[in-house]
Amino acid sequence: MENLDATSAAGVLLDLSGVLILLLAFACLASKLFNRYVVYYGAQSVVLSFAAATAAVAFRSVELWILAVLTLAIKGIAIPLAARRLLVTRLALKRDAAMSAGLSTSLIAGGALTAFAYLVTRPALLPHGTVAAAVVPLSTAVILLGCLSMVVRRHTVAQLIGWLIVENGVFLGAITLVATFPFIVEAGIFLDIVAGVLIMVVFVSGLTRQLAEASAAELRELRG
Amino acid sequence: MTALAILVALGPLTGPAAALAGARARLAGAAQAAGAAVAFGCSLALLATLDGGRPLYAWDGFLYVDALGGFFGMTVAAVTLLAATGSISYVAAQEDGGELSGFQVRLYYSFLGLFASLMLAALETGNLGLLFVLIEASTLASAALVGLEGRARSLEAAWKYVIISSLGVTIALAGTLFLFYSGSGLHLGSNLGLTWPYLVAHAGALAPQSLRLAFLLAVVGYGTKVGLAPMHTWLPDAHAEAPSPASAMLSAALLNTGMYAIIRFLAIAHGRLGSTYPRAVLLSFGFASIIIGALFMVRRGNFKRLFAYSSVEHMGIIAVALGFGGVLGLYGALLQTLNHALAKAVLFLSSGDVSLRYQTREATRVRGLLTAVPVTGGALLLATFAVLGSPPFGLFLSELTIVRAGFASASPVFPLLLLALLGLAFVAFARTTTGMVTGSPPDRLASPYRSRAAVAVTAAPLVLGLAALLVLGLWIPIGLDTVLRHSIVVIGL
Repeated sequence: MENLDATSAAGVLLDLSGVLILLLAFACLASKLFNRYVVYYGAQSVVLSFAAATAAVAFRSVELWILAVLTLAIKGIAIPLAARRLLVTRLALKRDAAMSAGLSTSLIAGGALTAFAYLVTRPALLPHGTVAAAVVPLSTAVILLGCLSMVVRRHTVAQLIGWLIVENGVFLGAITLVATFPFIVEAGIFLDIVAGVLIMVVFVSGLTRQLAEASAAELRELRG
Repeated sequence: MTALAILVALGPLTGPAAALAGARARLAGAAQAAGAAVAFGCSLALLATLDGGRPLYAWDGFLYVDALGGFFGMTVAAVTLLAATGSISYVAAQEDGGELSGFQVRLYYSFLGLFASLMLAALETGNLGLLFVLIEASTLASAALVGLEGRARSLEAAWKYVIISSLGVTIALAGTLFLFYSGSGLHLGSNLGLTWPYLVAHAGALAPQSLRLAFLLAVVGYGTKVGLAPMHTWLPDAHAEAPSPASAMLSAALLNTGMYAIIRFLAIAHGRLGSTYPRAVLLSFGFASIIIGALFMVRRGNFKRLFAYSSVEHMGIIAVALGFGGVLGLYGALLQTLNHALAKAVLFLSSGDVSLRYQTREATRVRGLLTAVPVTGGALLLATFAVLGSPPFGLFLSELTIVRAGFASASPVFPLLLLALLGLAFVAFARTTTGMVTGSPPDRLASPYRSRAAVAVTAAPLVLGLAALLVLGLWIPIGLDTVLRHSIVVIGL
């Protein structure tokens, strides 16, 4: 398996996509509206699918093309649409108030984590001048930012989006580090993500309904 | 042989098939137990045909069974058989009592069988990517079991479980990625690159820095599934809220499957990095888990939470044993895996009977089990002593082996600390369970079962599991000894 040169056209494009994906993870971390979480995640997935397509051209790999199409269809379109229909709209979610840290604190922590990602992955791990050396720190930072947003946010929907961002970070690394997993593994990972989102949607709706009933019961008890 | 391996993985799907065809609780339960029995029988036959340790290798390594995988498969199949038998009367009683609807019963059997079958399949693949896929899928199937009862508490536990475990396994995927990358100097084809036997054979050529990162990420990631502290936070909630036979599956089968994945990574890491680094990682997580497990057992409360913390402790012991390494350490670790699985299955299944009869999961409200329900009470008491490592049960033997391995390999501080923590765990655990079995029972205890046959079916897995534990404490069958020795050769520490 050859390593892509960082200065080649594909290398620059991959690097750029990596930066965009990181920025979108930051945007998600800085936002307070459920609608925005979903939009930023969808945009991130579209950029990821573009990155996969770039790598597909560079490595001349059919499997990466399939991966790019799957990413666009499932993560870029299906999951954001489903999240919006089934969660944000149906449960009437607007502003996310359940945060254990303020926005500015979490942004500063995010910056620190990004620096940490560079410190950990940059020096000895990767050969210099390859695109992997540029993108892997970015993907590590995206993974850490996803984890951070899961820690900072206590609302279930926000945590679900955080997990999906972590997943995107892993995929970004997968595209540049190893070009392809065997196709059956990739397909399986996608299947897991879809099944995971479905089962999480069921739990989130169930929990929200139970909580709503509980608070409604409290209201009745306090009457007159 | 390939057919046998496939039968092992597909056997437990009889339950889902029966449930989807619309069978009621008893029939679906019987189908599930029959399928589990087939899987268990086939896993034994598979182990016997492996003979001489030559592994089964097919489909580019996507199907790969060696002594280690066969041994774990046999353990999981045995637990599935016990849990499926225990499910028959438990679920039927819950349906009769109106706690579960017919739809929930069908959901239960659909996901129980799927869960078992996915774990068995995970133990039969040599491809580390597919291993990730199957373990993540088994997480999702078992999450449905945790949230089955649909109350706010069980939904919350299920949510916590699915989100923490999914995140953990995703981190393990990142570890798999770095492992794959560390092999990029090998110029391997894409299918071969993630195949475990190939990676182990060429471990010497892997890049050490990324392998180091890969091993750490894999231990943290799969360690989340194993319940190693500090990634164990989902475990007590999930075990407490799941239906009892499903808790048995979680504790005795799922945790082992995660540990199996860690062992696979350990073998590769050991081949390149030597023993110092993997030992440091495993001993740290292992002792953290034993300490957390033992300390949280001191609190009295929900007895299923108590058993869950005991699982955290035992997984810590297994990690420590793997860290000690050597033939003795590995032998102890594998034996401990089997013994703990049996003892914990008996404990959770008897806790199911207790919670049906007493209508509570609080230990302080349960009194006089031995007088009221002698079989379950006796099983609970004996399994308590078994799981705490007293003779003549199997865990005494395996924990003794592990302590000996500690004295043989590391500084004597570690095995002494291990002994002290085992003592603390003993007192904390036995304090609660002896309180449950002694005393005088409440006056009116209605039997939740409709027939004497159902009572007998409840008792069967308890007696079977305890008998196996007793045998393993007195004598290790020749066949098991051979399998364990071959597994150690496979791991190759």
